Amino acid sequence: MTTLTGIPTATTRPTAKVVWYIALALILIGGGAAILYRLMGGLGTTYLTSVMPWGAWVAFYIYFVGLSAGAFLLSSLIYVFGMVRFEKVGKMALLTALVSMIVALAFIGLDLGRVDRAFTAMLRFNWMSPLAWEVRFYAVYIALLAAELWLAVRGREQDHRWLRILGTIGIPIAIFGVHGGTGTIFAVVKARGVWFGPMFPIVFILSALVSGTALLTLFYVVRQVARRLLVDKALVLDLGKLLAGFLMVDMGLFFYEMLVPMLSLNPHEQEVIHTMMSGRFAWSFWIVQVGLAFVGPAIILLSSLRRSWQWVTVAAAAVVIGIVGVRFNIVVPALIPPLLPGLPAGDYAPNLIEWASSAGLIALGLLIFSLGAEVLPLDENGGTTHG
Amino acid sequence: MSEATSKHEPHWVMVIDLQKCLGCDTCTVACKAENRTPPGVSYNVVLETEIGQYPNTRKANLPRPCMQCDNPACAGVCPVGATTKGPGGIVTIDQSRCIGCRYCITACPYGARSFDFGESYTEMKGYNQVQAPEQGVERSERKKNAAPIGTVRKCTFCYHRLNRGEEPACVETCIGDARWFGDLNDPNSVVSRLAASPRAFRLKEELGTKPNVIYLK
Repeated sequence: MTTLTGIPTATTRPTAKVVWYIALALILIGGGAAILYRLMGGLGTTYLTSVMPWGAWVAFYIYFVGLSAGAFLLSSLIYVFGMVRFEKVGKMALLTALVSMIVALAFIGLDLGRVDRAFTAMLRFNWMSPLAWEVRFYAVYIALLAAELWLAVRGREQDHRWLRILGTIGIPIAIFGVHGGTGTIFAVVKARGVWFGPMFPIVFILSALVSGTALLTLFYVVRQVARRLLVDKALVLDLGKLLAGFLMVDMGLFFYEMLVPMLSLNPHEQEVIHTMMSGRFAWSFWIVQVGLAFVGPAIILLSSLRRSWQWVTVAAAAVVIGIVGVRFNIVVPALIPPLLPGLPAGDYAPNLIEWASSAGLIALGLLIFSLGAEVLPLDENGGTTHG
Repeated sequence: MSEATSKHEPHWVMVIDLQKCLGCDTCTVACKAENRTPPGVSYNVVLETEIGQYPNTRKANLPRPCMQCDNPACAGVCPVGATTKGPGGIVTIDQSRCIGCRYCITACPYGARSFDFGESYTEMKGYNQVQAPEQGVERSERKKNAAPIGTVRKCTFCYHRLNRGEEPACVETCIGDARWFGDLNDPNSVVSRLAASPRAFRLKEELGTKPNVIYLK
């Protein structure tokens, strides 16, 4: 087999591939057992309480919605705005967006107190509730992603117009519907000052772009290296530039997100920020969020290290891990300070069941992605030159 | 405003005189006994705090049932419309519809909502009974993995008791007579007159939720 770039394809070393799938299978077995245990035992198997109603699964849910929206928006740069230099990752971006969204829905499904009533969310509607709108946006968005991915891998010349049309429709759906909307779920909650306000939907959109771009960079490099194909250095450096731009804006917004509550003199909001910066999980704020998601990658992407594709990949990997911290710090600290003096403060850390099931769902996503990447012609230059 | 025009529709409010509250927690216990709430689910709690700096301190007790807000933040965010304003202005949860997403718990500014994780007291007589007036179910058996387990629960102003002409359990049992219950649409009711007291205030009024629990300072 030869790719269009003329590089002979040594398919993945068989041993590496076997190890990869065995590792995924093992995580899936462990995670599957945890999920089964949770489904039979209810939410009492988690460390969630009425004071801390949301935890790891909600954090992972917004994490994966963000990855999906970000990956999709990157694909629209190619299919809508014609930025051909990113074309090599176009189909992979669509597959990433689709798989991430499936994983996101699996997380939020697992989080429901009554999983058996999940479809009630589709049948009953409360127009006031951002979550009710989100459920519908997710459904439309998944259908759109599937259609776009199908058109893109089919790669016919006449489909390009449709790809552009679907991509164009998808942009507002992804920005305002899917990820801005997910931010709105938090933004309308007046009871939790740090969530409340129009800032959150915008922060969510930016962090989606950051995490989605980083994940695609990482996936691209890992796939090329695993298959012993040449890494397109210019492409990775370009993705690095894009990531740097998104990251700068996101960091700016993050600064205001911290500054305004601190200066607000609102005791509840100040306590949330205090919890985040010096509480039990301050390490997740300083090391994971500030270090891995923001400052570390910013140093790489703004210094001369940005000219090395290896370093750009390191920055991308740091962002992909760091944004998990960002998501946890959105969900958890805001729920900790008591709503009224005398009510108990929240105390939460995910337990083994929550971690194992989360690992299982992430492994499931990686498995679907890996199988998809093997079956679908993601790397062929669909339509334009290929006959 | 619909509640002000209709004579037939009551507008239930609760008035709690904080000067009379001893902090004895009888209301909490009576509520547990009445509603058979499982561990971790308390419709009513008394928030006990110490105010001031030694030696000038005092203990403050704040009983906290559900505020039955006129603009309930919890109802607004519910994706399936399981929380609604019911008869008399009581905020009710349809336990046969709630999907257990717990969005309402994060949205309630008063911490008045609990999730039913499925635990049960075993040492209490009648522990396996459930009081879910929203579904018209009274004292039915609490079955494993069946609603209200896995859903969100909260105070209903003892709606089932109101229906048979009784006061909520916390009002009836308050040993200091700190609580009143009545119809705000009746201008002659005790609660209507107390609501006009200069001592009257509501919790977090600035949020615009319009609570129907009125405190007297």
